[in-house]
Amino acid sequence: MSSPVAKPVSNLSVFKLEYRAYVEALADALIREDDQTFFEAVDHIVHLREPEMFGEVRKLTGDLQTALERFSVESRLADIAENDIPDARQRLLHVINLTDVAAHKTLDLVERSGPLAESTAREAAMLLDEWQRYRVLVGSDLEHEDLMKRVDAFLPSAQRESETIRRNLADVLMAQGYQDLTGQIIRGVMKLVEELESALAELRKLSGDVVEHAQMGDREEHGPVIPGVTKSSVAEGQQDVDALLSGHGL
Amino acid sequence: MSKELKFLVVDDFSTMRRIIKNLLNDLGYPNVTEADDGKTALPVLQQGGIDFLITDWNMPGMAGLDLLKAVRADEKLKKMPVLMLTAEAKREQIIEAAQAGVNGYVIKPFTAETLKEKLDKILGAGK
Repeated sequence: MSSPVAKPVSNLSVFKLEYRAYVEALADALIREDDQTFFEAVDHIVHLREPEMFGEVRKLTGDLQTALERFSVESRLADIAENDIPDARQRLLHVINLTDVAAHKTLDLVERSGPLAESTAREAAMLLDEWQRYRVLVGSDLEHEDLMKRVDAFLPSAQRESETIRRNLADVLMAQGYQDLTGQIIRGVMKLVEELESALAELRKLSGDVVEHAQMGDREEHGPVIPGVTKSSVAEGQQDVDALLSGHGL
Repeated sequence: MSKELKFLVVDDFSTMRRIIKNLLNDLGYPNVTEADDGKTALPVLQQGGIDFLITDWNMPGMAGLDLLKAVRADEKLKKMPVLMLTAEAKREQIIEAAQAGVNGYVIKPFTAETLKEKLDKILGAGK
């Protein structure tokens, strides 16, 4: 036979019991228009709620502290905030600068070559005109017939091909517009990266500088040299590479 | 007369300014001035002597749309033909530019033919 077990008092029942007296006093004071008793009852109810509220705030603070401590301990995340992101911005800027230099160099060559193709086409057209008149004047010249036939064929093709070169150069010019379009996209990504950087920096400030970054291994650096980013000593041009290799017996 | 028109090309990318300048030269317009955003373009326009404005939209400092609005709000400049040459291709942006008083709108990447066609249309309409 099981022993009678007292029915456990639920949290809600305790809660109700605690509040009941004050709520009754509150209602009573309200009817009697007893301001002093009314506000005393309100104060009691507020005091009853305080421990619960402070408990919640303590818990939230604890959670936040844990999250921030974890951020500190995650050395890779700290490294990203401190090194990788500023490096990433510099890398992207370097891409914009590289494409800018390449596009301008291409435009230099287009601007220099275009007039050459144009004048060749013009000169060929003029020469062809004079040549055709000369051909009529001279009539048949059996001795130089082969040469004349070659000039007959060359002059129109020189004109045609120079015009084609001119048109191709115009297309090369238009294709350099890629630098503007890619540059705009890269600038957008740079802005995003910058926002991420400041958000992580704020988080780092909150979490405190707990981790010694010296313990982190160097990241591997591959690919082209990026000014301000590449930290290893780099060869300055092919001559430097050759000198270095010859120093090693190559 | 039309070949003596003086253009102002506004774009933050110097390569794009150079491309547009070359195209205008090829079309027979040798007078081209450049500016890299709306802020530097506006004093050039206010100084006088510019007949046609070609501007990008997305630029640091002062964007092309704000430049267009400033031009339309200026008593001396309000009738200036303005061609927007931009990668911004959202419908609402095109409508916004039209409402602000743009005369033509060309989306990048563009062709020399498209530029010529829009220029001829704007210049023809102004006659």
